[in-house]
Amino acid sequence: MLQTFLDPLGSRILGALDQAGDFAVLSGRTFRAVFRRPFDGENLMRQFLAVGVNSVPVVVLTSLAVSAVFAVQLAFGFKQFQAEGLASQVEGLAVVRELAPVITGLMLAGRVGSAMAAELGTMQVTEQIDALECLATDPIHYLFVPRLLAAALMVPLLTGLSIYVGYWGGYLLLVGAEGQSAVVYQSEFYKLLAFKDVRIALTKALVFGLIIALVGCWRGYRTRGGAEGVGNAPTSSVVTSSLWILIADFFLTKLLLV
Amino acid sequence: MTVPLIDVVNVSKAFGPKVVLSDVNLSVEEGESLVVLGGSGTGKTVLLRTIMGLLTPDQGHISVEGKIIHQLSWQELFEVRKHIGMCFQMAALFDSMTVFENVAFSLRRHTTMTSAEIQFRVEECLGLVGMKGTDQLKPAELSGGMKRRVGFARAIALKPKILLFDEPTTGLDPVMTDVIGRVILDLKHELGVTTITITHDLKSAFEIADRIALLFRGEVIACEKPEAFKVNPNAVVQQFLRGDADGPFLLDPPPPKRSQSTVSHSPLNV
Repeated sequence: MLQTFLDPLGSRILGALDQAGDFAVLSGRTFRAVFRRPFDGENLMRQFLAVGVNSVPVVVLTSLAVSAVFAVQLAFGFKQFQAEGLASQVEGLAVVRELAPVITGLMLAGRVGSAMAAELGTMQVTEQIDALECLATDPIHYLFVPRLLAAALMVPLLTGLSIYVGYWGGYLLLVGAEGQSAVVYQSEFYKLLAFKDVRIALTKALVFGLIIALVGCWRGYRTRGGAEGVGNAPTSSVVTSSLWILIADFFLTKLLLV
Repeated sequence: MTVPLIDVVNVSKAFGPKVVLSDVNLSVEEGESLVVLGGSGTGKTVLLRTIMGLLTPDQGHISVEGKIIHQLSWQELFEVRKHIGMCFQMAALFDSMTVFENVAFSLRRHTTMTSAEIQFRVEECLGLVGMKGTDQLKPAELSGGMKRRVGFARAIALKPKILLFDEPTTGLDPVMTDVIGRVILDLKHELGVTTITITHDLKSAFEIADRIALLFRGEVIACEKPEAFKVNPNAVVQQFLRGDADGPFLLDPPPPKRSQSTVSHSPLNV
């Protein structure tokens, strides 16, 4: 009776540890391969384009929508005790510290991480990754490293863009719709912020970028079993990296604010 | 006696409970071309992948140029792989690149050749496999036989000493099968490489082979010159050569053939 309960539990725990270990080993190999020759600039540029430039519209639209909706709720909430002026301060705090990095991270996990998993997964099941190995090329170095570098640089940059768009999203709502003073909004937005907060936002974005690239590449690289496997790889990469982005966000917020 | 270029010693490999190779011994001398025959699922591909170091044997070892493959570090393994060209069953071309980029891939990464030299070498390789003028096409625009020949060109770009062919003719029409067989023969004569070819196509096997081995249930049951192989008394060998379903080759042989007379309503008899 007890055994029928413990057996599947034990094998689940072992399976999870197995996965975690595999992920850790592959991540370690990726970081070690970053400085190895030859340096493939063309490949890196292609990833900058795919991860960075092509993600601009998505990041702009979601940042605008989320910051505007957040401003609506803030305006409503602070109106309850005649403190409308606080809305722009809290808007600034929320956009810079939380909304911009997390929204950018989650959107890119969906847009970029899943694409990495699908691409590497297809390469895996069509033996292209084996072909790379047979051509004396380390797939970790050739496939993982440019994606990791692109995500580590582009997610912070896009977070910067998201903060900028978030400022104007709040402006649109609080100044345009709620009729607050534009001059007051411009100064109040930064009132609760220090330079430290931008550093926090970019640090978070860097960590999210690493999570997105490593999880996406890992799920793709470990794809097994034909079309179904290729179908599962992006899904599991998005779920896993989104989850880790949220977990990492909590701990980074607690740690970096100390 | 010289040291064989590729030496497979007592290699066993199992995936879970399924034993794929058991105690396989093969050796290939320099310049020799070995053909490995065997039914579907008898571990032929696993054997090639183990030689390439893509799989690790459970027991025994494989040495290439005197180096034991599964004991090498990553860097050493890649050095050995530069001397081996692997031709995959489904070609495994990089589908995001053109034919030119596929063939030039290892030249760009592992040599210091200029782009003019790379251009020349790629054209030379494509010429050797009869695929000149296709360099700007994408793999998706090629037929199965063309893809495999581009795969050959990619494998020979670095001038390897050893070429491994994984079922190069499977799924092709008889004419294209003959074309591929001739390309392999040409490569063997012009480059003087050592080859291991895996196939079930007997016609091209006898054309290519200096020696033929037959894998049966994970074991090598015959490995000899083509003339001797033809008259090998082993019942399995003879059944494979005849291409007959009856005999010891299959674990669960199919029901016996129907005789012609039992077909009562044949449309041809009307």
